[in-house]
Amino acid sequence: MSPRRGRQAPLTLVTASGAPSTAGAEGAGDQRNMSRKRDWSGLMVRAQDGDRRAYRALLEDMTPYLRALAARCFKASGDIEDAVQDVLLTVHAIRHTYDPGRPFGPWLVAIANRRIIDRLRRQTRDRSREIELTAEHETFSLHPTNLRFEETSTDEAALHAAIKHLPPDQRQAISLLKLREMSLKDAALASGRSVSALKVATHRAIKSLRKILRQPSEPT
Amino acid sequence: MTRTPELIDALVECATPVRRLRPPLVRAGLWLTLAGLIFVLLAVGHGVRPDLAQRLHQPAFAVSLVSALATAILAAMAAFAISLPDRSRWWLALPMPALALWISTIGYGCFAAWVSIGPDGFRFGEELRCFVLLVLTSVPLASALFAMLRYAALLRGGTVAMMGGLAVAAITATALSLFHDHDATAMILAWNLGTAALIVGASGLFGRRIFRWMAARLLASEVHP
Repeated sequence: MSPRRGRQAPLTLVTASGAPSTAGAEGAGDQRNMSRKRDWSGLMVRAQDGDRRAYRALLEDMTPYLRALAARCFKASGDIEDAVQDVLLTVHAIRHTYDPGRPFGPWLVAIANRRIIDRLRRQTRDRSREIELTAEHETFSLHPTNLRFEETSTDEAALHAAIKHLPPDQRQAISLLKLREMSLKDAALASGRSVSALKVATHRAIKSLRKILRQPSEPT
Repeated sequence: MTRTPELIDALVECATPVRRLRPPLVRAGLWLTLAGLIFVLLAVGHGVRPDLAQRLHQPAFAVSLVSALATAILAAMAAFAISLPDRSRWWLALPMPALALWISTIGYGCFAAWVSIGPDGFRFGEELRCFVLLVLTSVPLASALFAMLRYAALLRGGTVAMMGGLAVAAITATALSLFHDHDATAMILAWNLGTAALIVGASGLFGRRIFRWMAARLLASEVHP
């Protein structure tokens, strides 16, 4: 059984030998980059032994690479950063599973792929349960946030006029419970009246309002 | 939200030396040693079945026993191998031939027993002792295996749990064959197959949850040690 043949193809991170590149035209920058990358295994070995400087160098070196991996799957920069941090945390949590006798690249890429796929799955699952809010959903119970259509909405004007004609205790109950949409408990606290008194007042107010509003339209 | 450089600072801060894991096959060997120890304890406490020597001469029994044991050993090796991030998924195929052989012997035994003895060849007392044996074998081994493979939670939790469950199921079936003196009734054979299905199913179902819980704990303990 050959344990790691399947996953190695896309990896150029870690070469088995330190042979210098035959393509001299690649430039010194690339070579420096490669030698840094080649050193990741060594850095991890030192990090496993508790060398914090090596560990910092390794994590900082890895981050842009992980970001590039995450950017293949996520578009929003916040998501990419979250995925990178997830991978870094996982690498930290299971750094003892790295075997110095094996290349570092496949180990890192396997962890990154697994975490990115898990995150993608979770994101897809969450999104399937979410409904995007449109402007129509953005209503608030507070008075100033609601649009006023006094001049066009005759119903609303009539309702407000009818409320004004209610006795004060009924008017207060309607105002707190229906217009400001407070809970019975909050309304009782705000008005200093009992919950049952508020219920009765609301019931009577609605009855009176129904009567007042019906009157003009009803054929008599 | 924590920024990545800040996270790196935090991780470096709590980077204590860690002990590298032993090679997966060595760890599988350790777990199998524990299983062997439990077998020895059971042999001392419970005693092997009286007709073991006689039964071992029967090809169907011998093949079933050997294939269950082989499934356990190979599934344990596969579970420890695939729990590491950089090992191939092909390890999962390792116990499959032995598993196929084991399942086929159970199926054959079941059929033969059904035809020759009939479904009513069992007693309640046998069942209870069978169950105790099953719990005594599978619970400590499953707990040890989950503890040894807890780091796999962040990677291939479900797959590792299934493979580990298969190893525990196969070793439990081996224990049943060695220590439980039963005739090949349909009930006992169903126990074999049923236990295997139950343990593998339960580890697939709960293993993922346990591993997810472990993953959350692992990450939390790393950031806030």
